[in-house]
Amino acid sequence: MTKQEAMGPNQKEQVEPVPQAQPPQEPVPKPQKKETVTPEELKEMYRRLDKTRSVLHTAGEIEVGQTPCEVLRETRTYRLVHYQQMVNKTERTPILIVYALINKSYVLDLQPDKSWVKSLLSQGFDVYLLDWKAPTNADKFVSFDDYVNCYINECVDIVLKKSKVDKLTLHGYCMGASMSAMYTTLHQEKVRNLVVIAPVVDTEKDTTVIGSLAKNMDVEKMLQVAGNLPAEQLYACYSVLKPFKQGVNKYFNLVQNIDNEQFVGNFLRIEKWLYDTPPIAGETFRQWVADIYQKNLLAKNELRLGDDIIDLTKIKVPILNIVADEDHLVSPQCSAPLNDMVSSSDRRLMRFHTGHVGLIASLYSQNNVLPKVGQWLKARSQ
Amino acid sequence: MTQNDAKEDSAPDFSPEGLYKFWAETLKLPTIGPMFAFSKEFSNYANDIINLGKVMSELKSHNDNYWSLITATYAKAAKATFEKSPKQLVSKEDYENYRRAMIEAFEDAFTGLFSSPEFSVIYGKVFSAQLDFSKALQSLAEKNLKILNLPTRSEIDEILKDLHDLRKSVRELRKQIEVSSDDKAGSDGT
Repeated sequence: MTKQEAMGPNQKEQVEPVPQAQPPQEPVPKPQKKETVTPEELKEMYRRLDKTRSVLHTAGEIEVGQTPCEVLRETRTYRLVHYQQMVNKTERTPILIVYALINKSYVLDLQPDKSWVKSLLSQGFDVYLLDWKAPTNADKFVSFDDYVNCYINECVDIVLKKSKVDKLTLHGYCMGASMSAMYTTLHQEKVRNLVVIAPVVDTEKDTTVIGSLAKNMDVEKMLQVAGNLPAEQLYACYSVLKPFKQGVNKYFNLVQNIDNEQFVGNFLRIEKWLYDTPPIAGETFRQWVADIYQKNLLAKNELRLGDDIIDLTKIKVPILNIVADEDHLVSPQCSAPLNDMVSSSDRRLMRFHTGHVGLIASLYSQNNVLPKVGQWLKARSQ
Repeated sequence: MTQNDAKEDSAPDFSPEGLYKFWAETLKLPTIGPMFAFSKEFSNYANDIINLGKVMSELKSHNDNYWSLITATYAKAAKATFEKSPKQLVSKEDYENYRRAMIEAFEDAFTGLFSSPEFSVIYGKVFSAQLDFSKALQSLAEKNLKILNLPTRSEIDEILKDLHDLRKSVRELRKQIEVSSDDKAGSDGT
């Protein structure tokens, strides 16, 4: 247990020290005699390119989400799963993970050595996951009110009943983190701890390209004409994020490492997840962009969900807010202010030197993020 | 009315809308009366087609602005690549240095563009114009559905909205029933 953890649940907000930035992993050029490209090397390059092309076609077939689980409830909108416990003694308070509405939840269980879910299980927690299904054209009027007050609430009740407890840890990622915070303001009696990863909160402080694009998007017209936000539109938004360093350079790296099975496997899992994008329910997306990004209503405590107003100052439960310094989807400046808005006396901000996905699905996350999250939770889960 | 006003009123309007209006008004003249009823469907379609043309022209204008930004950024990145990369590509090292210089230059140029407020505004306009284009096509399609006596998109939307509201009401009623039966159980001591 760290010195900070030993301070107990009444500690005030503390910021994790930011580890030193890793220098870019470019080999230092050595002065040497210039070698020309030989025909054999060109032939080898062609072989690698050809293999890369065929390997990329298999991305959809690669296995993800392998941690054993049981489906507790499946509706047209969501699937509630309960993961098989890995150790005998589990912490008393169950964890319900609320995933985002963007892409698929298997990023939390991408592969055994980088699984967020598996790590929590191995630390003795009882883990449930709320996995959203793709909305159909008939779901264009589904709003945050439905997601928060109906679907999350239904799942919370099921988890509480199954675990025979009256409170759980609500744990959200990205958009799911914002929804978890909304839920906690309205149904605090069922929440023991709130753990959020990269929540979208104060969008006026957001510095990302996504935030900038959202500010000029006519979402009212989109709802009227397209209904749900088409997946193609989401791809278009992703394509402007680090387009060359990540979008193009990653394929150069793949060609260079095409014979390394482990590298290829890791690459394909992430690639599969990146392009596995369902549409977003029209009214929900309208609220997300118009109310949260354009009017910043969540941070102003003026966001309306049905008959309720979301007032973040009502949150009094212990809160852990995890942000990434290199997050180019939700900037830490947008997530961190949540800790200043809530009334919880036990609140903690953890900052890590990684990105939005690196925070949850990387070896860095397994070695640096999850042990600290587990420690924080263990002190508050009995 | 002054002489100038009269001149302005009678100034011919040769825009597609002006010509359409002129033609529609002519059709409504009493002497051509029966023709009006006959051409009603035609005039509705014509209106939509003219609107589609207008929307397409706006979409093209916004697309042109978008592509001119992209092209200018591409030129800037290509220039930076040329300045930073080896002048001759002979060795493996030269190719590798060229690749690095290119990725660096293009990333800097395009990330700068995509995060600029100017790009956000133009992107928003292209997005909006694309939606207008879809809307104009939908309007034409809706007319075809009406001719076939099929429910239109707007009619289905109304049903979906009703269904959504109904689901919500059922949910609230269920909750109320649960609360009242819990209260009843509590007062009965069961």
